[in-house]
Amino acid sequence: MTETLIATLVSGLLLGSLYALMASGLSLVWTTLGVFNFAHGALMTLAAFVAWTVCVPLGWGLAAGLIAGVIAAAAAGVVIERLLVRPFYGNRNMLLITVMTTLAAMVIIESGSQYIWGARLKQLPPLMEGSVSILGAVVSAHEALIIIIAPAVLLALWAFTRRSRIGRSLRAVGQNQDSAALIGINVSAAFALAFGLSAALAGLSGVLLGSIRFVTPSLGVEPLLKAMIVVIFGGLGSLGATAGAAFVIGMLEALLILALGLYWTPSVLFVLLILTLVLRPNGLFGKAGA
Amino acid sequence: MSGHLLDVTDVHAGYGVAPVLRGLSVHAAAGEAVGLFGPNGHGKTTLLRTISGLLRPMSGAVRFDGQDITGGNPSDIVGRGLVHAQQGNKMFGDMGVAETLELAAFTPRARPHAAETLDRVYTLFPRLAERRRQLARTLSGGERQMLSIGSALMCQPRLLMLDEPTLGLSPRLKEELAAAIAQIGRGGIPLIVVEQDVEFLLTLSDRLYLVEHGEIVREIDKASAPDHQEIMEMYFGTTGA
Repeated sequence: MTETLIATLVSGLLLGSLYALMASGLSLVWTTLGVFNFAHGALMTLAAFVAWTVCVPLGWGLAAGLIAGVIAAAAAGVVIERLLVRPFYGNRNMLLITVMTTLAAMVIIESGSQYIWGARLKQLPPLMEGSVSILGAVVSAHEALIIIIAPAVLLALWAFTRRSRIGRSLRAVGQNQDSAALIGINVSAAFALAFGLSAALAGLSGVLLGSIRFVTPSLGVEPLLKAMIVVIFGGLGSLGATAGAAFVIGMLEALLILALGLYWTPSVLFVLLILTLVLRPNGLFGKAGA
Repeated sequence: MSGHLLDVTDVHAGYGVAPVLRGLSVHAAAGEAVGLFGPNGHGKTTLLRTISGLLRPMSGAVRFDGQDITGGNPSDIVGRGLVHAQQGNKMFGDMGVAETLELAAFTPRARPHAAETLDRVYTLFPRLAERRRQLARTLSGGERQMLSIGSALMCQPRLLMLDEPTLGLSPRLKEELAAAIAQIGRGGIPLIVVEQDVEFLLTLSDRLYLVEHGEIVREIDKASAPDHQEIMEMYFGTTGA
């Protein structure tokens, strides 16, 4: 029994780590620009395919593939910001319009991937071969690495937005664009940086996921939904809230799978999340009255 | 039409189709403190937003230090030393006092002076020093005004524009802020101050503009000033209030 429980907790930790990585980028764009980027999942897909091309047909290894995938996603993110989001800054309906334009980006990237890479299932090799035992629960070394990488990346991102001048400027832009501009922050550059950084995080998650699941044009669809749920559930606020919500949902999901099985878990998970939002309308970690 | 530190010439600006500013011209010379007063909603804040680049004018020109900055990017305009402090409620709510002030020395021109200016700001506003770890949204109205002015000082202004720095404050706090602003002016920073409180403007500034319906309806030079009674009549008599 304890072994099962430990295995469940470890799998919850893995899910939480993946969700935190996926959702942190989405949260970064939301808190800086007030835009929900529906192409976030497609950027994961793009990165996974680019990594596969570099890693498998070219044979340059997964490390090179990871770097190429992250760069490709970041570049695509900046292009999306320029072409599909920037024209609508200051528009009263920006939030709704960008739902449409980023959905368009999602469709373009997914169809484009299908066209370039085809529909045949592909898989990335793991970052590291072999398996590791965590308190008796055996997981692959790749999954153990994800459990280490995710919190480290989140911590680095947190330190960047709290301690560095540029990172702080992103938070300032998110809190008041006019005031940020009036102390000399270039608001459109901050927007492009937030989008690029967010897309790089999507790329990292996509490549890590590509070794666990098959790389297909729809790789990012389910993660996008999960990331949105995490950001909303966390309270649409800070990076910390998003990360906290990711691990809460990951753990909850693992425990529900243990208790109820795969079939009922998604529905029951949703019911629990909605009940939480009824009791805490500003999200799990949201500020009252925010 | 240059020669002044700041020259705003025949500016039309506003939101949507109807202009708020209708052919407005003002100027400020080096070493001068200029006051803008007039009824609410007649274009004083719009003028500051147009000068600092937050709002692109429909026509007219803004020149600072001999350069045309009309419709320029706000971050570039701050970089030249033309700094606009908004009302205190526009600060970054979830940032601490010290963090905000440090960040405000953002431009390459301001960065090297950050440490010494921070000391100066804390000397000018000891309350900010006491609250340096507090988040801006937990500050009182007066403290927020201090933070707004302090942030503007961190930008190393060569001309500082203040938008209603004493709005809604108690008489005691108002006095405290008025004294601090006068001290900034005496320290050699030219000022443009928007205020409802004409008494305060009369003691602070060398020249006053009365703004109504997006136009300058009177320019008052303190040297040849009409007496106090006359200014009060001008202000309260012409608004129709």
